[in-house]
Amino acid sequence: MRELSLNVMDVAQNSVRAEASVVRITVTESDKDDRLTIEIADNGCGMTQEQVQQVIDPFFTTRTTRKVGLGVPLFKLSAEQTGGSFDIQSEKGVGTTTTASYVKSHVDMTPLGDINSTVKILIQCNPDIDFVYTNTTDNGSFTLDTRELREVLGDVSLDTPDVLEWIADYLEENTKSIYGGA
Amino acid sequence: MTVKELIDKLNLKILVEDDLDREVEDCYIGDLLSWVMGRAPGDSAWLTVMGNINSIAVATLADVSCIILVENAALDDNARQKAEMHGVNILTTEENAYRLAVKISQLIEG
Repeated sequence: MRELSLNVMDVAQNSVRAEASVVRITVTESDKDDRLTIEIADNGCGMTQEQVQQVIDPFFTTRTTRKVGLGVPLFKLSAEQTGGSFDIQSEKGVGTTTTASYVKSHVDMTPLGDINSTVKILIQCNPDIDFVYTNTTDNGSFTLDTRELREVLGDVSLDTPDVLEWIADYLEENTKSIYGGA
Repeated sequence: MTVKELIDKLNLKILVEDDLDREVEDCYIGDLLSWVMGRAPGDSAWLTVMGNINSIAVATLADVSCIILVENAALDDNARQKAEMHGVNILTTEENAYRLAVKISQLIEG
């Protein structure tokens, strides 16, 4: 993928298909440590060890439309080609945590891309699922937790335009503050 | 132009041999696998430096005639095994993608 945010979208959609009720997306970026770590953790149906091996195998997919599935293998490759690492921890009935860690300064580092839009689209397309998005840099950290939004919103759905606009603004403002942008 | 003819005319080295009588009708260059996956034409020679297991999956999906690893790019052991298993021709050359593609163009477009 040209942007890692597309990999995040792909893996988070796997969490949705696994019938997760909460999906945690954590992006931690440190210039000091020269690391970018992306973690997607869900409380979905989870996988057996055998199934975990299958999703990182590019020749396997549970879909019947084609004989190979490349979402996870390419995510893994993107991390490993920077000298980073990739890991999936999963337990049946508990959930799945996917972690990709990158060496930021590596010349083959794929840009993170528009992660804020990815988060917003995930909320928009899955208004009944809770997302907890945390972004941390050397300058600070912020979290968007849709469970907190629901408490304030009451019966108002997360995919209403005003709410989505608020989410987009919230993400943009907080991103600026921790990335030291204008 | 078949893969066999391409090998002979361009002096390519065979790393994995499957059906060398396959036709080569086009040529595609790319290293970003997710990009190549949806764009490499079927029955083409795919020129790349990516010799990992995912490349074999992409070659299978795109149904290319062969992978040509340019500039002597390495082929991983597990990629070689998958290529043998799934019947993907893999060739290699010391030339870079551009120079090889120019020659392929002359061969398939006359």
